[in-house]
Amino acid sequence: MWLPLLGLIIGIVIGIQAPSLPQAYAQYMSVAVLAALDSVFGGIRAGMEKKFDDTIFITGFFSNTLLAAGLAYIGERIGVALYTAAIFAFGVRIFQNLAIIRRHILKK
Amino acid sequence: MKRGQISIAIVLLFLGMMIAMQVRATQQAQQNVPTARVQELTTRLKEVKEERDSLVIEVDDLRTKLNQVSAGGSANQAIRDELIKARMEAGVLPVKGKGVEVTMNDSPKELQPGEDPNLYILHEEDLLKVVNELRAGGAEAMSINGQRILATSEIRCAGNTILVNTKKVVPPITILATGNPDTLKSGLEIKGGIFEQLKYWGLVATVAKSDDITIPGFPGPVTFNYTSAVEDSGS
Repeated sequence: MWLPLLGLIIGIVIGIQAPSLPQAYAQYMSVAVLAALDSVFGGIRAGMEKKFDDTIFITGFFSNTLLAAGLAYIGERIGVALYTAAIFAFGVRIFQNLAIIRRHILKK
Repeated sequence: MKRGQISIAIVLLFLGMMIAMQVRATQQAQQNVPTARVQELTTRLKEVKEERDSLVIEVDDLRTKLNQVSAGGSANQAIRDELIKARMEAGVLPVKGKGVEVTMNDSPKELQPGEDPNLYILHEEDLLKVVNELRAGGAEAMSINGQRILATSEIRCAGNTILVNTKKVVPPITILATGNPDTLKSGLEIKGGIFEQLKYWGLVATVAKSDDITIPGFPGPVTFNYTSAVEDSGS
């Protein structure tokens, strides 16, 4: 359990130390963060259901994140607020996963 | 399960990094951009104001020179009279005479929750209507809070203030007008007229006759950049 926690702490430290993000990319980053959160919740849920697969988890995390940022970028180029689609989809899934995780914990 | 833990650690590492960067970027966005903009605008405002003040001084200077020239012995009396008349018409000379003093202000009423404050403050339309009514009543010269109303003057809403001759005027508004005091006063106070409309919304509007109204001249330059006189119109 300590290894993931250590990873999170190191990540936060790197994020604080890293050169600051240009303003123009903040929007893409915000959608990407949401996608990443979604993947993490999905991973926890899979772990609870005992079908966690680390390859699926890792690829899911990075593809979701990149796709979300990409959608936001394309949306901005063509003038359609595509990032709202990503926010909506990931937002709904985060809450669904949270509900399922809660049920698993309560059942134990 | 060891491998699973490593992958979770990697993912969380990235997640933590992204969240931290995003939080920092958002904080910067909130702090820097508006203050920078405000500073820029303040500087610009200051520059423009200084420019305006120096131009006013320049105009004053030129007027003095013009006066000196027209006061010179060689100048013909008729031309001098004509000049004074023309400058009175243009509104660049201070004038005095009989007239009325109109004061207007926002409603002193306490605003109830849910009420639209726009209904209880003076708008540029109210000023326009009063000025229009005064003109219809034969006003010869007018000023709003010291701003002489010229043929080219505007009375305009700009955000939450009113501009007259591109200068801000704020309530309480004092409109001075020369002309027949009785006609001007009754024009404003006529039944169903402008004052009745203003008082309906609780706005303060009063008019007082006076024998001694002094109206300042317009301090700035009156320029014609795109307009010139037609030669043979001769009147």
